[in-house]
Amino acid sequence: MSSALTFRMGRFVAEFPTDRCYAKNHMWAQPRGDLFRFGFTAYAVRLLQDVYFLDWTVEPATRLQLRQEIGAIESKKAESTLFAPIAGALTAFNDQLLADPSAINLDTYGTGWLFEMRGAGADLLTPEQYLEHLAAVWPVTQRTIKGQLNES
Amino acid sequence: MTRHVQVILSRGQTLHPDRQTLEEQLLAHLQGCGGCQVLVVPHLYDLAADGPAVAAFREIPGDMIVLAWLYPRATHWILDRYGIRGQLGHTSLDGAPSPREDELTPGAADEARAVMPRPQTQRRIHCLDLQRYETAQPYVDAIRQLVWSQEGSAAGATNSPSAVRRIDEPVKRRWYPVIDFSRCTNCLECIDFCLFGVYGVDQADHVLVELPDHCRKGCPACSRVCPEQAIMFPQHKLPAIAGDLRDPGGLKMDLSVLFGAADDLLGAYDIAARERDEHLLIAGQRPAGTADTPRKPDAGQSAEKKDELDVLIDQLDAMDV
Repeated sequence: MSSALTFRMGRFVAEFPTDRCYAKNHMWAQPRGDLFRFGFTAYAVRLLQDVYFLDWTVEPATRLQLRQEIGAIESKKAESTLFAPIAGALTAFNDQLLADPSAINLDTYGTGWLFEMRGAGADLLTPEQYLEHLAAVWPVTQRTIKGQLNES
Repeated sequence: MTRHVQVILSRGQTLHPDRQTLEEQLLAHLQGCGGCQVLVVPHLYDLAADGPAVAAFREIPGDMIVLAWLYPRATHWILDRYGIRGQLGHTSLDGAPSPREDELTPGAADEARAVMPRPQTQRRIHCLDLQRYETAQPYVDAIRQLVWSQEGSAAGATNSPSAVRRIDEPVKRRWYPVIDFSRCTNCLECIDFCLFGVYGVDQADHVLVELPDHCRKGCPACSRVCPEQAIMFPQHKLPAIAGDLRDPGGLKMDLSVLFGAADDLLGAYDIAARERDEHLLIAGQRPAGTADTPRKPDAGQSAEKKDELDVLIDQLDAMDV
């Protein structure tokens, strides 16, 4: 990782390498030939904390719409549905994670990658744009989390 | 002859370290306390109907205590699906014990409602939900109470440690609906709504889950349209769909909106139709939209409210006041 931008989440400082693009649903997108490889950003991982389980509800080679449901994740702090970050064809999942998802926490921007997709990715953000997006959503996210924790 | 109480531990599906620790603690307690026979199987929901774990279940003649990472109602009706039937037994974890627990068992209180005749059996299946407590003690206490109430002093006095049998059947995660036949009225809305051919009817025209593996992984749509809340997807993250009629809300945060979920306020039927469309698209079929089935937007909610009231009245009746 040559250089990275940072975003402060309370006392935690999340890092975002500048060698790749970002999707608004908190995934990084690394161009590899005509594919994009996707993984969670440090922002998402900080909120999830330790990932215990990952499950995909679509098969490779499925054509996906933007924000189509593709799977689910269980972590120490959250249970969430996962959605396609761009429109396109899903080509592969990182099968290593199915048996042991800990790479998501240990190597978020490397071996913790989630899946690869073929698509235009026209709406992907530059690292700078993603940071602007985070600055806009962070207050809302904090309210969401506090609201849910107060309810339960 | 002392009859040992059969305890079944259905293991979790995930690598959650807290869950694995709780399972091991429970096993250690059970082995130590004696008077039980313990069977350890993979997650109940994922078992093959013709596999060794279900076969071992079927050999159990009498009462059983089932510990699973499932709501008790889901455990009960998953077993029913495998042909392992009994009355839903009361446990001390169910809250205030009812002096006449038959009032609360499916098939007794709801006899008029059940359209699918179940063979009558006196055997009790006590289902304990491992999602409720983080420590082993509440479960150990509940099991001890059941063992003593069933066996008198015989089991409690047994000094020999409990026998533990493990069945490591290879399983992979499955996804299919489980019908609660104590609530089902055979209205057949699920058959009409599901376009993947999961549901069918038997020779007596009673609905059944005919082709479970045709179900689209992750799709809970039929559960949302069922007017009686009789369809469960035990692995769904919403407690109401996973089999909890009380629906207390999840214990963990739901970050789905963060990861791209639509943050809107659609009714249950609209959500179900959207989920069905998504899965039709994945299967390479045309989306069906909402036009083909009549809307019953409030049916599920009013059924739930009525049911809670029914349970309350049953409890009052049982208190002999």
